[in-house]
Amino acid sequence: MGPFSAELEAALERWSPRTRKLFVELMEDATSELQQELVQRSVLAGHTPGEVHAFADELRSLSDEECFEACTVDDAAPEGYTVAQLLRAESDPLFAFELNGGVISPNDSDVGPSLVEPPKKEAMDVADDRGLAADPVRRAKEQRRGFNVESGSHRSVPRRDPEHVGDSGSHRALQRKEQGFTSGPQRAIQRGEVELGAGPVAASVHVAVPMAISGARFFEDLLGDATRGLGFSWKEQEIDAMGGLTLDEALRQAQAALGRGIPVPFLLGNAQAKPLRFVLMLQGSTSGATRAYQLYEPSSQELVWANEKTILSKGELPFDNKALRRFLRVALPGPRGL
Amino acid sequence: MAAARPQPSAPFAGRELNGEQLLDELAELRTAQVSPRHLEELARSLRELEGRRAPEAASQLKQLALNRFAAQPALASLLTRWAGRLKADVDVPLLVGHLERLAIVSAVLGAFRKGAERLPKGGRA
Repeated sequence: MGPFSAELEAALERWSPRTRKLFVELMEDATSELQQELVQRSVLAGHTPGEVHAFADELRSLSDEECFEACTVDDAAPEGYTVAQLLRAESDPLFAFELNGGVISPNDSDVGPSLVEPPKKEAMDVADDRGLAADPVRRAKEQRRGFNVESGSHRSVPRRDPEHVGDSGSHRALQRKEQGFTSGPQRAIQRGEVELGAGPVAASVHVAVPMAISGARFFEDLLGDATRGLGFSWKEQEIDAMGGLTLDEALRQAQAALGRGIPVPFLLGNAQAKPLRFVLMLQGSTSGATRAYQLYEPSSQELVWANEKTILSKGELPFDNKALRRFLRVALPGPRGL
Repeated sequence: MAAARPQPSAPFAGRELNGEQLLDELAELRTAQVSPRHLEELARSLRELEGRRAPEAASQLKQLALNRFAAQPALASLLTRWAGRLKADVDVPLLVGHLERLAIVSAVLGAFRKGAERLPKGGRA
């Protein structure tokens, strides 16, 4: 299999020999050129070998039409997604897959180096320059457009039935399972376990490393576990960071969630963006042109009202701990619940 | 002329209903060792109250307190108290929302406690 593009070869050089071998097998197992392209793009986007493996396993059971629908959000973007998210989804099919509600189950034993830089613009331009015929994703996009025009139908995003995930797969996939490469039991992706690990060292490393691995999660998995019985899912987003939400957008989406009766968890940090405390936004209040949010900080048990302007200006928040100034992350609830 | 919009009763109109009061109730339930699972079960039970008028909803809440949550006296007491405060139909969805928030906040704070170890100095920095 191969040779691969220079960008992909460079990305794979950061993987261990074992996971590189796995990647070659995934390419061989892919049932179409489109699947191969999507898996390769997920590597270029900087995902871990475990995530790429789980993603490839998911794609294998889909037709090209379904793969394309599951990995693109461009022409039927659900409301509430930001431009930053949609742009990232363009270059990162795994991100788009998750944005569309897809779930992957990375196996922790697949963890390897994932310090791959995200695809540089030049790399993406090179990919585009290969032309329509050479790019299966673009080709599928064009074919899909034609399909839509003829059928006049609305695009629907397939939602994978978790009960059936992993049921399909090739003989080689089964071999990998025996070798310990299996995706493991079905569960939502829990990057906190895979990339962040546990403990303050991992957490503090997080803020100092490049964006390629700053996608580590602080609380998405824990919130998901805690509220599963209530029918909630959460999506953790960085604030004012590449690929994340602006603070203004985060507050706007938080306000929408509060309007649905759902309190919104945030991670606060100091002025240097060091993560310090979890806080829960309980409610908002508007008086004329002024808006304020009520925040509860459980470790100090402080309940405060903070003016939106103060939050947006990263000014001093009304907590005893004056180091708490910046909203670093937010966990936004999914569309379902209760 | 449009009819005046029905106003909620006083206990449901306060700004701190889903703020300080909610946290006070949660502390009371936690002290009484009512688990998030019980609140989760309560939140599911509240679906039966949707679209009910105030007297019916109050009666159903009392039934829940007497039957399903009889083994959790603190929770049963809370439900009985709230049932007695339901006066107008518009109070019902506000109470349902309040009790659902109680379940959500309880679960989220549990997740925060577990997640604190991922923060520098276990979230005490």
